[in-house]
Amino acid sequence: MNSMSPEVALNRISPELRPLLCSVVRNGRVGLDSTNCLRVTDLKTGCTSLTPGPCCDRFKLHIPYAGETLKWDIIFNARDPELPPDFIFGEDAEFLPEPSELPHLVQWDAGDPECLLQLVKELIQQYHQYQCQRLRESSRLLFEYDSLLEDPNYSRSMEIYAGHKNSWTGEFSARFLLKLPVDFSNIPVYLLKDTTLDPGEDVALLSVSFEDAEATQVFPKLYLSPSIEHALGGSSALHIPAFPSGGCLIDYVPQVCQLLTNKVQYVIQGYHKRREYIAAFLSHFGMGVVEYDAEGFTKLTLLLMWKDFCFLVHVDLPLYFPRDQPTLTFQSVYHFTNSGQLYSQVQKSYPYSPRWDGNEMAKRAKAYFKSFIPQFQEGAFATGKL
Amino acid sequence: MAASISGYTFSSVCYHSANSNSDHEGFLLGEVRHEETVSISDTQISSSELLQVVEVHNHEPCAQLFSFYDYAGQVNEESLNRILKDRRKNVIGWYRFRRNTQQQMSFREQIIHKQLTQLLGVPDLVFLLFSFISTANNSTHALEYVLFRPNRSRYNQRVTLSIPNLGNTSQQEYKVSSVPNTSLNYAKVIKEHGAEFFDKDGVMKDIRTIFQVYGALQDKVQSVCGEVEQSERVKEKVQEEVNKLKQQIVLRKRKTTDEERRLQEAQNPELRLTPEENTEPPETALLSRVAFHTPSTPERPGPSANPPAYSDLLSLQNDSLLPFSSSPTSAALLPRPQAVGSPGHPSPSPLGLGLSAGPNPAPSPGQEDDDEEEDDEDSSEYENLVSEVGQLPPVSAIVLLQGRPAALSPDGDASVRGSQT
Repeated sequence: MNSMSPEVALNRISPELRPLLCSVVRNGRVGLDSTNCLRVTDLKTGCTSLTPGPCCDRFKLHIPYAGETLKWDIIFNARDPELPPDFIFGEDAEFLPEPSELPHLVQWDAGDPECLLQLVKELIQQYHQYQCQRLRESSRLLFEYDSLLEDPNYSRSMEIYAGHKNSWTGEFSARFLLKLPVDFSNIPVYLLKDTTLDPGEDVALLSVSFEDAEATQVFPKLYLSPSIEHALGGSSALHIPAFPSGGCLIDYVPQVCQLLTNKVQYVIQGYHKRREYIAAFLSHFGMGVVEYDAEGFTKLTLLLMWKDFCFLVHVDLPLYFPRDQPTLTFQSVYHFTNSGQLYSQVQKSYPYSPRWDGNEMAKRAKAYFKSFIPQFQEGAFATGKL
Repeated sequence: MAASISGYTFSSVCYHSANSNSDHEGFLLGEVRHEETVSISDTQISSSELLQVVEVHNHEPCAQLFSFYDYAGQVNEESLNRILKDRRKNVIGWYRFRRNTQQQMSFREQIIHKQLTQLLGVPDLVFLLFSFISTANNSTHALEYVLFRPNRSRYNQRVTLSIPNLGNTSQQEYKVSSVPNTSLNYAKVIKEHGAEFFDKDGVMKDIRTIFQVYGALQDKVQSVCGEVEQSERVKEKVQEEVNKLKQQIVLRKRKTTDEERRLQEAQNPELRLTPEENTEPPETALLSRVAFHTPSTPERPGPSANPPAYSDLLSLQNDSLLPFSSSPTSAALLPRPQAVGSPGHPSPSPLGLGLSAGPNPAPSPGQEDDDEEEDDEDSSEYENLVSEVGQLPPVSAIVLLQGRPAALSPDGDASVRGSQT
C-alpha cells in the first residue's frame, strides 16, 4: 500500500476516476517544492467487497508543503463518479476552508481531468492562509510574515507551516519556505544536463525553521534542485551564513539571495572565461591542439615539440576559473613509468594571474612551456623508460 | 452525555448501509432528555449531576448522496423538508456510512453539520459515523461506529453509544427501553382488546378489584371494632356487679365470723384469740390488695385481685385513651393482624396488679372460676385484637406465690388485658 508507483495506483482506481488521478500523479506539482510529484497511497474502495475490481475510489494524497508532507484523504464514490470528492485533512482537524473560496469544488466538472488537481491547488492556498492565521499566536513571527508579505519578491512564493504548539514546553514553532528569486537561466546548459531524473524547474528554496516564538533558535537551510546543485559545484556550494540572532527574515533572505546570485554569476562568468581561454590557446597553438572540451571548456590537450622533443600538455580548468589556477600536466610521449603509464609531471603553480585575459594567459603559458620543458625532458630521460 | 440506540434501529441502519454500494447517509430521530441525579452522602449534603441522554428511536435514510445539499455543501431547506416531512421536529442527529475511511469527520460533513444545527434548531446535534473496514483478502470485516457531538469543544467530542440488551445478558437484566411505540397496528389491537383489561378510565381492572377487596376488609374490621367495644362495655358492667357481689359476700362472711367469735367469747371469756394474720384483707383500696399474698388463704387466691374497673383505668390514663372510642372509622388505626390463635395468654396487668386472667392451675371457687374463665375467654379474644396504638404502661411481671406462671405476653410487650383496651 505504501510507496505505490503511479502506474499501480492508476490500474486499481475505478475507470471513471482514472483521468482525474492521472493528472495528479503524472503532472501534479503543487506548491514551491515541485521536484517530486504528488504521491498516492492507501487506495481503498467504497463499494461492497463483492464488487469486481478495479473499483477503488478513495486514497491518501501526500503533498509536500513548507518542508512537511500533508497527508489528506480524498474520498470519491465509484458509483457516482460525477460527484465531487470529500476530504479529510489528516491531523489538521481545525482546517475548514470556505467552500466559496474553492471554485473548482463549487463548479466541479468530472469531465475535466485537471479538475481534481486544480481543486487541490486551491485547497493548498487556503491551507496556507490558515497557517498564516495561526501565526498570530506569536507576534514576532507574525511580524516576520508581514514584512515578507510586503516585499513583492517573496510575497507570492512563500509557504508557511505553523507547527502545533508543543504541549510540554508550550513552545510554538513555525517554518517558512521561500523561493529565492534567483535567475538561473544563464547557467550554461552543459552543467544542467547531467542529472538522471527529470530536473523540472530550476529552483532554490530557503527553509527557515523557527523553533520558538521568540526567534532565538533559527535554523536556515538551502535547498537547490539537483541540476543547480550540480552546476554550482555540489553540496559544498550550499554554505549559507547563519541566521543572525536578533535579525529578521527581511534582511537575511536578500543576503542569501545575493550570495546565491553571486555564485551563479561566478559560474556563468567562469564558463565564459574558460571559453575565452580555450579560444586564445586555440589561436596561439593552432595545430598543436589535440582536443578540447567544446561544451564546458574544462579541458585542453596540446601536443608540442621543442627541439625534436614531443610532449603533451593537458590543461585542466577548474570550476572557479579564473580565480583558481588551471592545472598543467606535462606528459612525455616516449617514456613510461614503472607502472606502465606515460611519464608525466603536474604543475599547479606557475606564473599566473587571474587578471590576465585569455590572450595574455596563452602568451604567458607559451613562455612558461619554453622555460619548463628542458627540466621536464631531463626528468623524463632520467626516470622514464622507453 | 449518554446516548443509546435501540437494537432494531441500529440493525436497520446497518442493513441500509451495508447494502448500499457507495456512501450512505440519513437522519436520526429520537428524543433528548435531561436527567438530574441528586445524591446525598456523608461527605457532602447533596450533589446533583445533570446528564443529557440522547435516545435514538428511528432513522430516516436518504435515497442518494447530495440529496439535500449541493457541491459546495450548502444545505437546501426545501429538500430537507421533503425528506423529513413532519418528522423534522424529532431529528436529533444524522449519520453517515463510508467504507474504509478514518473515524474522523470530513470536510463536507463538518460544513453540513453546522448548517443542520442551525436549520433544525438542535444545539447538540449528534453525528453518527459508521465505517466499514475490510482486510485485504476480505476475510475479516469490521463495522465501527462512533457518535460525535461536534458542537462541543474539540477534546470532548466522542460519546459512547450503548445498545440496550446487546451484551452479556447473563449478567445484566433485560432492559425495557423507553422508546415509544409508534406502530399503528399495535395501537389498533390494544384498543380492540383493551376493554378486557382496562376500565373506562384506563386503569387496569384487577387493580380496582383489589381495592374493592381492601375496602371490604376495612369495613369489616371497623364493624368488628364496634362489636368489641360493645362487648367490652358489657363485660365491664358484669365485672362491676361481680365485684359488688364479692364485696357483699365478704361483708356477710365477716359478720358471720364476728358473730361466731362473740358467741365463742361469750362462752369462753378467758380464751383470747391472738389476732390472726389478717386473712381478710382490710378494706383498703383495691389497689393495695397486691400486698397481701398469704398462703394461708387457700380459699381465696390472694392475687385474685380484681382488675380495676374499666372506668377507673380510663380516668388514670387519660392520655392513652383508646383509639376505639375516639375515631372508630379511621383506617390508619387498623390493628396489625396477628395470627389467629396466638399462643399464650397475657397475664400481667398493666398496673402491676395481681391478675387472675392467666391460666389458673390453682383451684379457685367455682364462682370465681366462672368469672375468671369468662375473663380468660375475653382476654384471649382481646389478645387477638391487641393494639400497639395505645400507650401501654410498663408492666412488671408479677410472680405469683401460688405458682401461677405470670408471663409476659408472647409479643414481648405486656399485652393489654382486656379491660385495659
